[in-house]
Order: sequence, then structure tokens, then C-alpha cells
Amino acid sequence: MTMTHPGLPFFWVMTAISLMLLLSVWCLMSKAPQEKSARLYPLARMPFVGAFFRFLNNNTWPLLLLKIFFASLFILMVSAGLWGSPIVERNLATALTWNLWWTGVIIAVLFSGSAWCAICPWDNIASWLVNRRLWGRATNHSRLNLKLPRFLRSIWPATLLFIGFTWLELGVGIVSNPYATALLALLMVVLATTALALFEGKSFCRYMCPVGRTIGAYSQLAPIALRPIDNDICRDCTTLECYHGSDDIAACPTKLVMGRLQENTYCTSCGNCTQSCPSNNVGWSLRSPSHEAIQVARPHTDEAFFMLVLFALTLFHGLTMLDSWQQFISSLAQSINDKGQLLVSFSVGLVICLATPILFFCGCITATRAILGKNNTASFTQYFSGLAFVCLPLAFSYHLTHNLNHFFREPTKWGDLIANPLGINAEPLSMMEKHMRHSELMVPEQVMFFLQSVIMVAGFLIAILVIRHRGKHLFGASGLKLLPMLAFAFSVTLFSLWMLVQPMTMRM
Amino acid sequence: MRRFNLFPLYKKGSCKSIACKSNAPSKKLRCLSFILGLFLLSMNSHAHHVLGRPSYSLNEDSNTPPSMAIEAQIGDYFVTYMVFPAFPKPNEAGRINLYVTRIDDGTLLDQPVLFTVSNDSFLARDVSEEIGTQNIDDGIFRQGFVFSESGSYIIRAFFEKDGEPYEIDFPLQVGPQKPFGLIGGFIGALFVLLITVNIIQRKRIARSKFQQGTPTP
Repeated sequence: MTMTHPGLPFFWVMTAISLMLLLSVWCLMSKAPQEKSARLYPLARMPFVGAFFRFLNNNTWPLLLLKIFFASLFILMVSAGLWGSPIVERNLATALTWNLWWTGVIIAVLFSGSAWCAICPWDNIASWLVNRRLWGRATNHSRLNLKLPRFLRSIWPATLLFIGFTWLELGVGIVSNPYATALLALLMVVLATTALALFEGKSFCRYMCPVGRTIGAYSQLAPIALRPIDNDICRDCTTLECYHGSDDIAACPTKLVMGRLQENTYCTSCGNCTQSCPSNNVGWSLRSPSHEAIQVARPHTDEAFFMLVLFALTLFHGLTMLDSWQQFISSLAQSINDKGQLLVSFSVGLVICLATPILFFCGCITATRAILGKNNTASFTQYFSGLAFVCLPLAFSYHLTHNLNHFFREPTKWGDLIANPLGINAEPLSMMEKHMRHSELMVPEQVMFFLQSVIMVAGFLIAILVIRHRGKHLFGASGLKLLPMLAFAFSVTLFSLWMLVQPMTMRM
Repeated sequence: MRRFNLFPLYKKGSCKSIACKSNAPSKKLRCLSFILGLFLLSMNSHAHHVLGRPSYSLNEDSNTPPSMAIEAQIGDYFVTYMVFPAFPKPNEAGRINLYVTRIDDGTLLDQPVLFTVSNDSFLARDVSEEIGTQNIDDGIFRQGFVFSESGSYIIRAFFEKDGEPYEIDFPLQVGPQKPFGLIGGFIGALFVLLITVNIIQRKRIARSKFQQGTPTP
């Protein structure tokens, strides 16, 4: 029996649409925006919390303990998947991976930026295996340090892996198979270890990891990041320990120089720079949320494609949990004579859902160029990569609201799972338990609806700011010239709201 | 009800290569690759047709036996396949219940359904054995089974309607899965990789020191 969550009520949808209309009018009527520099507030210098962050910056063991804890949890999860019960809701592997981690890691970006990458068990287990030490700089015996082939030096591998992940998750259905979940987790460790043993830096994290790149992209919107505490110290620095590392601490795994760091995309928050900086000048800072995506981040074609694919797959995720999707796939399967699990039909649906938003985006860019006429000075690729940032807040807002549904409406009995992680002798959920879970919300329903509406409107607002700033920077445009891109953001948010209104299939 | 004794288990080979006795790194590597190859060959392949979901269900024997339910679609028909019990063990009687309805109007299929079984294990011979042909009984096609050996099997349901053949495969796991082949594959692959990298890197460093005129430690 499939159970569904109720959708967003009409009142909240209308409120969100009204606010979006007001924001659209403001966008079209107002003058071109002025460039503003980002403000940074180092947490180490703040009252109350400053001491805690200074402690984190000066000591390695808290991070090491966290790494060991999450790696242990990962090993327990893999063991549960391989040797535990095949009952999805009674096995720690599926519950932890799909109900908590995959949902929570996106929500965590909002509060901690790319901090997850610092404690990611895939990379940490790979590092321990290759370097044969828990912390510090490794000997040069353990890695070949080859240069990554040029054709792999982009985030296309991560983009393709992300599409593959989605196909496995929603098409093959590994979310309901603890064994397959564990195998996928092991495969990621093998990939991370192979890349680390063969290539210099952390090429897996930088170019291949779909989760890391998703976190990296979204963390451009996060209000927290690792940054210099005092920019003047970095300006006068000639040794660049943050980049080269020190005698004990490894170099930056993704080759970033802290003094010039403008984008959070490739920072894995590993903490090497905080440890190696002789002036203790690197730490967590609060900053203007989304400033990076709105005007600072430099456009790249591969990153633009990743953002668009991320955006399309986020919408696709929501779509597959609607009843109408099942009907569509069923009809498609009948028309192409597909049978069984309907994987061919699903794959066709996936391609359609990937292509539609990307083509729509390209159409809006073409319309913008047509409106500009002779004033159009930039190439299509420049528009494409520059304006793709608009997809980030739209994807992130829908991703968050969708995940809030999973997070608040699908509470897992963690006590039972931790007591019996392998689900030995456990029975499947009874109908009574399913109904109980369905009715046990972690927060009042109206609070969740309010949060969802606020997040959707905030996503739209940030998208508008991106359009205004990037529009001005790319083609010096404001007002009606922004209409095609505004229509893109508005219609996509409207579609996201429509999906939120529909009852959503519950994930056990 | 038929009893199965299909397909002898695949037995792993042991490494008796001459290369294993040699201390030369390249031969060691070959030996390790050979071991890894054996691990990979001994991996189980898993049902990749449709995935099931264990849940409570009702049948005539008990009011709450756990069952494995799988839904699939073929042509104009929607098929629901249920296995009782959800995780059958060797020498334990079980039953397959199959519901076949038209997608458009929900009409029940009124043709006999042939059930066959084949081994889904990696390297298993491509042989299938007939379990039985069942007519509809109270809207359900019921097929009993007893397996004498643990393993991964594929149950195929076949029927004809309006001169058109329909066949659909479902996985059936009897007894526990054997994940050691895959684990061995993963661990073996990592082991070979790390040793290879270490050997190559040590050679590179030694060669570099030799070229610079520094004695190798």
C-alpha cells in the first residue's frame, strides 16, 4: 500500500504567488543594481561563540573524532546493508542513507556550508587507506600523484555520476534495497581510493563526487564559509601554507589559496588551511547569504551544466513522487512495449525531464538575446554560464522544501534501529505502524507549510537578485530586458509550487 | 507441489599458479590480479528485473504473514506478485500468488499461467525448469514451491492472450544472500590497487634518487 503526504494548502500557495508577483514587478520597475562587496563576520571574533570557534581552529582532535565517528557509522551502515535484514525500514543502511543522510545533508548546507565534506566517510576512509595514517601529511610512497587527464578536469564526471545516482535511486529503486545501498556506498569508497592513490590532490572530491559537487554548488548560497579572518595578513603572505601545506599538514586538496578565495564551490572544509596557517588567520565566517551566487562566482560552462542538471534532477525527484508520474510511465511503457520494472520507460522519462528545463532555459536566453538586439555583445555560452546561477536558488529552495516533507513527516524510530541496526528477526512495518508514522509529524503541520512557503519565496527572491546582478554585468540590462529570465524563474517556481500542492508518496 | 534440486553450487578455484611462488613484484601483481579475478568471478549476481518490498499481507493461512510484494507492468496488464513467506528458507514450503488485471478496465486475466524457475546466480547455466501451470482461482493464480538449496532464483510467469505471448520475470531469494564474493571483490580490488601504487611509487623514487647520484637507502 502506498501512502501519501498531503500537499501545501491553497492559502499558502496563493500567499507565495502574490509575493512572487510583487517581487517580479519590483524587478521590472527598479533601476539596475549597484555592485556591493561581501561582508564577512569571522565567528572566531564574535562574542559568546568566538572561544568555541577559536578552539576548533587551534585543535585537530575534534575534527578527527568526528571523522572517526562518521567513518564508524558508515562501516556499521555497510555491514547492516550486506548482512542485515532486507526489510527496508528495519535496516540501518536504508534508513540512515536515504531517510536521514540524503535528506539531511541538503538541509545541513543551509547551516554549515560544505562542512559535510570534511567528515565525509568516503573520502576519509580512502585517505586512511592510502596514506596509512589518521592525520597529517602522508609520505610520498603511497600515492602516484599523477596529473589528472585533461578531459577529466571538469565536473562533467560528477554530472554524469549524479545522473547515474538518480537513475539507480529512483529507477532501479535501490532506496528500497539495503544490500544495493551498501554496495553503492562501497563503490564510492573504491572510486575515492582509486582517485586518491593515482592522482594528485583530491581529484575525486573536486571533479567526480556528485554529492560533493552538489554541496559545493549549494554552499554558494550558504551564510557560512571558511575564510581569512584578517584579509591584510593574507595580502602580505608570501609562503602560502594554505596552498602548499606545512611540514605536518597536507596542502589544500583542491588547490585553493585562501587569500584569494571568492567561491565556496570547491572548498571541502577539510581544515588543512586552518591548521597550516602560521598566523591562525583562517576560520569559519558568517557572510551575506547568496552573495557569491548573485555576483561573485565566476561562470564556467561545466559548472553551469552541473547547476542545470542539479536543478532538473531536483524537480525530477519531486515529480517521480507524484501519482501522475506513475500514470505517465505506465502509459509510456504501454506505448513502447516496455515491461517489468519499466526501466526503459523510466530512462526515457528521465531524459525528457532533464532536457525540458535545460531547453527552456536556453529558450529564455535566446529570447533575452533577441530583445537586446544590437546591444547584445556576449556570446550564447557567456549568457548560458553566467545566467545558470539563477538555477541554484530555484533548485535549492525546492530541494529544501521537498526534503522538509521527508524529514518532518517520516520520522524513523532511531532507538529501535540503533538497538538492532541489522534488523535481525524484525518484521516489516504493520499497517498500524505505517499509519502511526504518517500521523506523527515532528513539527506542527502549519509550521511546516509556513517554512515551505517562506523558502520558496526566498528562493525566488534570490533568483531575481541573480538575474538583476548577472543581467547588468553581462549585458548592462535592467527592467523589461530581464523579462525572459524572470519568466523562467517565475514559471519554474510556479511549477515547484504545483508539485508541492500534490500529495507526495511517502518514503518508508 | 514440486521439490527443486537445481544447479550445483559454483566452487571457487584455488591459486596454484607458479607466479605465486615468485617474489618478483610483477609476478606478485599477476598473482594478486588472479586472486582478484577469482573473487570477481565468485560474485553473486542479483535479481535485476524488479525490486520487491516486504510487507504484511493477508492470505488464507494466517492473518498477518510477512510477504514480499512486487508490482510490475507488461503490455496491457498490471501484475502483482506476492511470495509467502517473504524470505523463504530451503526445504520450507512457500507460495506465489499472482494477480493479473488489465490496466484499462481492471478485468482479470482468464488464461492459464505457466510458472518456470531458473537460477539467477552468476555463471549459472541458462536452464529453466517448469514449476507448474495454474488456472485462476478466486481471482488469483497460486503456485506452491519448495527449494532444497539457498540461492537467487528467477521465477518466470508466462501466459498468452489474444495470440500474444506475455512473460515476466520476478526475483526469488531463498535463504540468506552470500555477500562475501562481492566484499572480496571490493577488498581485493583495493588491496591490489594500493600495493601496486606503493610498489610503483617506491620504484620511481629509487630511480629518481639513482639518477641524482644519491645511494638508495
